[in-house]
Amino acid sequence: MYGDQGNKLVQHAKRTQNLSHLPTYQTELVRAVTREVRDLDKDVTQLLEPFQGSFDPSADQATACTLLVNHLSMRRNKRCLLAYHRTRTDKLEELVWKGADVNDMPGKSRDDSTGAEGAAGSLSPQEEEYVRQYSDLLAAYKGQWTDIDLTGNLEPPRDLFIDVRVLKDAGEIQTEYGAINLTKNKAQLIAIYRGGCATMPEPRETKSVIQRFRERHIGIDFLG
Amino acid sequence: MSYYDIDAILTEAERVPATFNHTIPLLGYLDNSPSLKAGTTVPLPLWLAEMLALASAGPSQQHSQESTSFTSLTLPSSLSTSVSQALKADPRAVALRDQSAHFYALGVRMLDLFEEPELGDVLRRTFVTRAGDVVMHARKAGSGTDDALGVGAQGEEFLRGLEEWERQLFRRAHDGAKGRREWMDGVKN
Repeated sequence: MYGDQGNKLVQHAKRTQNLSHLPTYQTELVRAVTREVRDLDKDVTQLLEPFQGSFDPSADQATACTLLVNHLSMRRNKRCLLAYHRTRTDKLEELVWKGADVNDMPGKSRDDSTGAEGAAGSLSPQEEEYVRQYSDLLAAYKGQWTDIDLTGNLEPPRDLFIDVRVLKDAGEIQTEYGAINLTKNKAQLIAIYRGGCATMPEPRETKSVIQRFRERHIGIDFLG
Repeated sequence: MSYYDIDAILTEAERVPATFNHTIPLLGYLDNSPSLKAGTTVPLPLWLAEMLALASAGPSQQHSQESTSFTSLTLPSSLSTSVSQALKADPRAVALRDQSAHFYALGVRMLDLFEEPELGDVLRRTFVTRAGDVVMHARKAGSGTDDALGVGAQGEEFLRGLEEWERQLFRRAHDGAKGRREWMDGVKN
C-alpha cells in the first residue's frame, strides 16, 4: 500500500543512526517514493477534474475520503524522504567535524588509493556537493580563530612524544621541532609538542606532523 | 517529538484497526476488494488512521446522528486487555517487542486518542518495573567477561523482548557504566 516504500527508507535511516559509517544511498528507493508521490498527485488531479474547482467534501464523502487518503500518503512520503535525507546529512556533518578524510570520501571515481575505505560511491551526487560546501563553510568558520583548532581532539595528549617505527629509509627530515633522522626498522620517539611549560600542547599538531609524513610518503608506523 | 524523528515516524507505521463508516469505492485496495464497504475493518498505519478518524466528514450514511468521521478506531491488539492483564500480573514476563517494537510510544499515541486511564497506569507501572531490570542488565553486560552477557537464559529472553524505548535505556545505561569505568581507569594513572 502507499507509504510502504517510504517506511523502508525510514528503516534504512534507523539503521544508519547506529552505524559508524554511512551506508550506500538508496537511489532506487528514493526514486520509488518520489514516483509514488507523483502518481498520487496525478490521481488527485484526475479525481478533482470533473468538479471544476468547486468540490464540496460533505456532498461527496467517498471522493473526499479518497482525496484525504491520497493527500496523507503524499505527506507521509514527504516526511519519510526528508527524515531519511536529514539523517544522512546529520551524519555527514558529523564526519566533516571529525575531519575524517571526508574530502577523499566523496571521490567516487577519483584516485582510489586515498579514500578507498568502502565509503566510495556511498554518497549521492547531491550529498557529495553538500559535503564539499559544508567543509568550505566549516573551514571559513574555523578560519576566524587561527590559534584554536575547533575540530581538534578534545582528549589531552598523554605524552610529549609519539612512538613510531620507521618502515622506510627517509634520511633526515626537517620539522618545526628540529631535524629527525629516519632509518629503517628503527623505533624512535618523535617530539610532537613544543617543550616548556609555558606553551600549552596543541593536540592537532600530532595530526599535522603525521600529515606531513604522509604527504612525503614516508613509511612509518605509529605505535603510540 | 520532532518532524524528523525516525522513531516517531516508525511508531506511526504501527497498524491500528480502523472501521470505515462509509462505503468508498476507490479505496478497495486497502482491503483487497473492488470497493471498500462501510463497516469494514482494516488495519491501517497510524499516520493514516489517526487523521481519517479525526477528520470530519459530515453525517454518516447509515447513522445520521453520530460518527462524523471517516473511520472509527479501536485499540490495537498490542494494547488489548489481555496484554494489559498479563502486564498487571508480571511486567517482566511479557516480551513487549513481540507486541510492538514501539510499544510505549504507540501507547502514548493511543492514549491521546482514547480515554483509558487504566491502560496508562498499567503502562507506567510496567515501564518503571522493567526499567530497573533493564539498567541492571545493562550494567552487568560488559562489566565482567567480555564475551558472554552473563545474564543467563532468562535474562537473555528478557533482553530480547525489550522494545525501542527500553533498548535506548539499555544502551545509555550501558554506555554510562562503560564511560565511568574508562574514566576511573584514566584517573588511576
